[in-house]
Amino acid sequence: MTRTPELIDALVECAVPVRRLRPPILRAGLWLALAGVILALVAVVHGLRPDLAEALGRPAFAVGIAAALATGILAAVAAFTLSIPDRSRWWLLLPAPTLAVWVSTVGYGCLADWVSVGPEGVRLGDELGCLAILVLTSVPLAIALMVMLRYAALLRAGSVTLAAALAVAAITAAAVSMVHDHDASALILAWNLGTAALIAGVGSLCGRAMLRWAASHLTLTHADARLPSPPPAS
Amino acid sequence: MAGDGRTASGNRDWSRLMGCAQDGDRAAYRALLQDMTPYLRSLAGRCFKEPGDIEDAVQDILLTVHAVRHAYDPRRPFGPWLVAIANRRIIDRLRRLTRAKSREIELTAEHETFSDPPANLSSNFSEVSVNAAALHEAIENLPPEQRQAIRLLKLKEMSLKEAAAASGRSISALKVATHRAIKSLRKILTSERP
Repeated sequence: MTRTPELIDALVECAVPVRRLRPPILRAGLWLALAGVILALVAVVHGLRPDLAEALGRPAFAVGIAAALATGILAAVAAFTLSIPDRSRWWLLLPAPTLAVWVSTVGYGCLADWVSVGPEGVRLGDELGCLAILVLTSVPLAIALMVMLRYAALLRAGSVTLAAALAVAAITAAAVSMVHDHDASALILAWNLGTAALIAGVGSLCGRAMLRWAASHLTLTHADARLPSPPPAS
Repeated sequence: MAGDGRTASGNRDWSRLMGCAQDGDRAAYRALLQDMTPYLRSLAGRCFKEPGDIEDAVQDILLTVHAVRHAYDPRRPFGPWLVAIANRRIIDRLRRLTRAKSREIELTAEHETFSDPPANLSSNFSEVSVNAAALHEAIENLPPEQRQAIRLLKLKEMSLKEAAAASGRSISALKVATHRAIKSLRKILTSERP
């Protein structure tokens, strides 16, 4: 085992100047700007749903999509704040109110005005288009967030992963809602809450491993490569 | 604030030292790590008993501080930042130790056994082998009936019936011979011990 004074010598030898992290709110803003660009690209390439203006006139839809976007923004702020060691873990609750509004709006809207799947059933082509938007939106956002938060693998991997997955899920669900119109309540539920559950689930299962991978491959400087790596947070 | 980063109370200002370390000042970084270590040791000492575990926890914390030193904002106090990292690492190590203890058994010298008796390491290994040699010598010096009884019943671990069949003697004769042999051996070995 290396003795502590020897480890200090090795650490000092590897102490190259580092660039300080920008404040979490600014970094969240950068990520949200990327999310805005991706949403705009999806809208340009795929086109918005034809009845978007009319749909936004319906309070349930407008409140639902606003709550989803707000959840995405607050969850991103929470993830970046939680990744700083001395910030309170209560930041994880920041997106909880808007998440509750989003889930209850979508759920209540569907239950109060249930529209069952029509006689033509589910159109496979449309649903595959939805799936493509889900992947094209969530994957780049998740990768960007993973790279920006990689150092959190050593600290609060669980909380940061949860908040990050929620941010990606909410933004993706908002994108799907703006681009695709679903008449059937079951599909609205599936695409809103199903997307959120899927991304949050995948994020929770794989997020820690992904953060660890990113931390081990992207954090080390040439000087640090000689040091033993600290064990990741369990 | 003095020139070497000391506050009015004489303690070094860790926030300032870390700020300098982020800019690549190795002397400040060394001073910070050396100052921190006893404090981290006292934090780890509250949760671990073994000195090895305490030192491992301290080294985990130092490595983590080094890996995330860019995440420190010098405008904020250093203490809470360090304690948050230390607590995180200590909890992780406690979890790992608890998991390891729940599925691993530590081997002691008593668990190491080999078929050949002299191969078994023991703190009193030489004493054991000397005693074994003395016992074998004492058995050789017994009268033939007693020696045969001891060999069959104790060394070869036969039952009385098997020993009676092998030696052609009655069970009661074997019992008597064994009893006398053990008595003689005890006498010989006790008299030999200094």
